[in-house]
Parts: sequence; C-alpha cells; structure tokens
Amino acid sequence: MNTAAPTVQGVDTRPEALPQDVDWLRDLRATGVAYDEAVARLHALLLRAARFEVGRRRPTLPHLRGDELDDIAHEAADDALMSVLRRLDDFRGESKFTTWAYKFALLEAAVKLRKRAWQGREVPLEPESWTVFASGGLEPGAEVEQRELLAALQRAVAEELTPHQRHVLVALALNGVPIDVLADRLGTTRGALYKTLHDARRKLRSRLEDW
Amino acid sequence: MTEMNEAISRLLGPAEPEVGCDECFAKIDRYVERELAGADADAAIPGLRAHLGGCPACREEHESLRALVAGGAD
Repeated sequence: MNTAAPTVQGVDTRPEALPQDVDWLRDLRATGVAYDEAVARLHALLLRAARFEVGRRRPTLPHLRGDELDDIAHEAADDALMSVLRRLDDFRGESKFTTWAYKFALLEAAVKLRKRAWQGREVPLEPESWTVFASGGLEPGAEVEQRELLAALQRAVAEELTPHQRHVLVALALNGVPIDVLADRLGTTRGALYKTLHDARRKLRSRLEDW
Repeated sequence: MTEMNEAISRLLGPAEPEVGCDECFAKIDRYVERELAGADADAAIPGLRAHLGGCPACREEHESLRALVAGGAD
C-alpha cells in the first residue's frame, strides 16, 4: 500500500500523522505494559532492519561466522533502539514512523560492519592509488588531456590543501577508506569529516576551473 | 566512464550544491518515500541527490533503506 504523502509541485502536503504512527508515539510515550510492548515491537522491527543490512553486506565479510553477524545485528538493533527512543521528538511525521526508525538500524549495522571489515587494518592517509590514474582505461584521443588534468589535480592536491584536508581527501576519495572508519580513527565525526572533504573538493574545483 | 574519470569524479565530488551527512540522515526517510511514491524527491529535498553522489556511505545507506521499504518490510 502506498501511504507516502502526496506532493504538489514538490511541496510536502501530508496533513497529519498516519493513525499507526500516532499509535507508535502514544505507546512509546506511555508507561507500564503498553510501553514495554511497544518497545519490544520496536526492537523487533529494528532487528529486522539490522539483519537486512547484515544480509546485504555478508558477501563482503566472508571471515565472519553467521553467529558473529547475528550478534552484530543484535548490537545494532539495541543501539538503534536507544537512538530512536532518545530522538522520538525529532519525528515529524514527514515519513512513516517505521521508515524513520529503520534508518537508525541500517546506520548502526552499516557502521559496525564497516568497522569490522577494517578492524586491524592500517588506514592509508597518503596517496596509494595515484597509479590508478597512470594505468589503462583511457579512451583513445583523450589520453593527453586526461594526463594533463591528472597532473593539474595532483599539483592542486599538493599545493592548495592543508595537510588535514589532503589526508582526508586521499583516505576517503582515493584509498576508499569508509568515512565512519576514518572518523573513528581520527576521533571526529562523519559530519565533520565530510565538511573537510567538501572544502577540499571545492578548493580543487576552484583551482581547476579552466578545465 | 573510464577508471580514470571515475577516480577524478571521486576526488572532485559533486559539482552542484549538496547537503552534509547529518542533513542527509535527517531527511533520507522522507526522500526514499517520495522516490518510491514516484514523486519528485529531488525537488522536495534539494541537495540530497548530489550528496549521495559524493558520499559512498550515505549512498549505501540510501540504497539499503530504499530496498528495505520497497520490499514491504513494514
């Protein structure tokens, strides 16, 4: 059933919360048995989402056993439950409550699985992959222009960026380090790191305007 | 797109204005429901699509939420 809000010229016109969402909020703000049952239902919903994410990523984690993966799903559901309950007032009814809640479980599971995948691995902050540019994959006729662009880009990275911007750009955009993993290693947040990446990219684009 | 073009794209990121990771997370549920309803999600939430193009982690989480909701998980 499609219960998403209709839009008129891109404007959200949902007039009021869906009945089932009103029930969720009422029960999660209740006390006693109603609260306990709602929390149990919510946890089951979050666990389903976390297991969904684990299932999607399972092929990339062949070294983890099934019970280890299910432990991660449970941890993700537990953490997501705390996040949802803590941020209940942030729910504005702009999506269904279940869709809003799912994103917390998916995030928790994804972050935990990315960290497990990089556990014990060094995070490369210096260019390891410039060679990708020097290797094949070039279209005939575009090679000279692309090599010149590459050289300009490398110079811009070296000359325009602060050391921190360079490390973040290289780790995230060149070496494929997941942003959560890098945030964890550097003791910062995903949002702050993306801001650094965005600023670095803006400097590079500005320098390469003429291209 | 060649391997070099993809690598250059990853370095330079989206050319258009984009939201950050926190705003993306705050709005991704609404965005996904608009997408699945066939509505113009990009008009409703400007800058989110560009962010998904520049942030692999948010892109993965968007794909997961979309797949989960589209699969009738609720």
